[in-house]
Amino acid sequence: MSWYIILTIGSVAFCLAGCLNHIYKLIRLGKPKDFSERIGNVGSAVVYSFTGGMSPKKKESAYLHLPTYSAGIIYHTGTFLSLGLFSYFLFDWNFNNKVLLGLSIILLISTLCGAGILIKRIVKRELRSLSNPDDYISNILVTAFQFITSYSLISFTPVYYIFVSALFLYIPVGKLKHVIYFFAARYHLGFFYGNRAVWPPKG
Amino acid sequence: MQKITENTINKGLSVLNHFQDSRLLTQLNSCVHCGLCAESCIYYLTNKEARFVPVKKVDMISSIYKRYYTFIGRHAPFLVNALDINDDNVAEMVDLFFGSCTMCGRCNLHCSIGIDIAYLVRTGRIMLAEMGYIPLSIQSTVDASINSGNNMSITTEEFVDTIKWLEDDLKDEVNDENASIPLNEKDKNLLYTLNPREPKFFPLSISAMAKIFYAAGESWTISTQMYDVTNYGFFTGNKGEATTIVKRLYDETKNLNAKELILAECGHGSCAFRWEGPNYLKHSYDFKAITSVELMADYIKSGRIKVDKSRLKQRVTLHDPCNLVRNGGIVHEQRYILNQIASDFVEMTPHGIDNYCCGGGGGQLAMSEYNDRRMAIGERKADQIRKTGAQIVVSPCHNCVDQLIQINSQYKLNVQIKTLSEMVADAIVLD
Repeated sequence: MSWYIILTIGSVAFCLAGCLNHIYKLIRLGKPKDFSERIGNVGSAVVYSFTGGMSPKKKESAYLHLPTYSAGIIYHTGTFLSLGLFSYFLFDWNFNNKVLLGLSIILLISTLCGAGILIKRIVKRELRSLSNPDDYISNILVTAFQFITSYSLISFTPVYYIFVSALFLYIPVGKLKHVIYFFAARYHLGFFYGNRAVWPPKG
Repeated sequence: MQKITENTINKGLSVLNHFQDSRLLTQLNSCVHCGLCAESCIYYLTNKEARFVPVKKVDMISSIYKRYYTFIGRHAPFLVNALDINDDNVAEMVDLFFGSCTMCGRCNLHCSIGIDIAYLVRTGRIMLAEMGYIPLSIQSTVDASINSGNNMSITTEEFVDTIKWLEDDLKDEVNDENASIPLNEKDKNLLYTLNPREPKFFPLSISAMAKIFYAAGESWTISTQMYDVTNYGFFTGNKGEATTIVKRLYDETKNLNAKELILAECGHGSCAFRWEGPNYLKHSYDFKAITSVELMADYIKSGRIKVDKSRLKQRVTLHDPCNLVRNGGIVHEQRYILNQIASDFVEMTPHGIDNYCCGGGGGQLAMSEYNDRRMAIGERKADQIRKTGAQIVVSPCHNCVDQLIQINSQYKLNVQIKTLSEMVADAIVLD
């Protein structure tokens, strides 16, 4: 087994352990402890939090910023697609060349979306003032990961594993850990509004 | 501002290392600094400065958390902009958490992740309270509550005199010598609360509720010992004082053996008692606590009071108090009522859970040092009102009413500002 495969497996193990640690902390702390008299339906509100409450029609962060929102959706789709394709490289699965080319093009587009979001962060003075190195590192790692995945689908290079390793090592420590906390945040928002009958909206 | 000490820092940090559940840990770790929350915040929309973007408030508290409680924040703080608690940062915390946020929660709804930003701001205020940095202006309101039993330091004698005078007025209005405003009576169905601004400045809203109770044939009372629905401890972040105020109202309800506690038209007061109170006391209530808005809607729906919508010819609009609506789930009741008592009711844009805060929330009305910001923010509300063409603006919250009165004056809207109970009382048809 080559050194870069070993490095990758090690980084995956680190990532899994780190993420599981975050999940463990969340589970250990548990659900909201609220003594107030519930007047709504928390279950329905949590479902709404992940569905209707995320709708671009409902969120100013989406409908007032459609280009950024669309780029973000494509970028995140590309991230999860790239993570899925990691197993393709690791286990050397076979795909039709046309499929590989299609996937490569999709990832190239998502790479461009990631780069666009990065450029926006660099260029817009206000957004720059809200940013710290972690924001740039996170974006660069994920965008590079998508790009190298796209490239490697056409012409594989072992450099791929270096990028993958860097990403996996960073996920649990930087802001990329929102891959876990995003779900917890939506749950808590649903719980809060569900308890008070704000969500799901009536009528 | 006093120089910060190690002991003070530790008091502030104690808020960030005692997790009651996973809520705070989640909020502290979720922000991705996308900045898309900016346009959801009345402070940013008014000032258009990066420091007013909600993410700045999230970052202030999460950066401190990272500095002291995460590996990367402890060892490479520059990577995540991890911040020490020091004099400069505490001054910034005071300005961001007390002076730049009404905790209206509008950004929560629109955050791309779903972070409870208002909760983080409240946590920031709790940290500042622990460290002794509550602005003196708002603290004086809490001190008045703690020391006198109500936030306006009204003496019992003065209060009873006011109520007796209002009772005489009620008798005249309903033409019934037996009409009354019962004080301190035990075993009634309802214990009704008041915002101390009512006996002090707006007694007509007490008369209005008394008339509604009279028309409904309700069994009710007001306590002279503890009638104050407000709880500015909820705003200052001093949990001990907030708990004391909640406990007094809880104990008085038990003492008078009332079946239900009715929370007067006060957004934060109803939120503090109904939603936060049980958590301050660490137990649920063994009586029902509902808002007067829900009660009035129920009276009309059930036919206990009759109203005539043809009396009111003017156009009416509604301002939604954040703590009652977005943070309290009372969205439809006030609309049902207005549709029953007004023939020309129009909504603001946006409204309901998406409504803009008037600028008076979060204790802003009690912090005169931020008056200029508060009134600048009010311009957005003034524009919303103006666009409806309404002559009457109704708000079921005395805090909002105060701010709306000032907005009305500053932006020359020439509208009437009324509480919901005043509107209902005017529409009542007595048999």
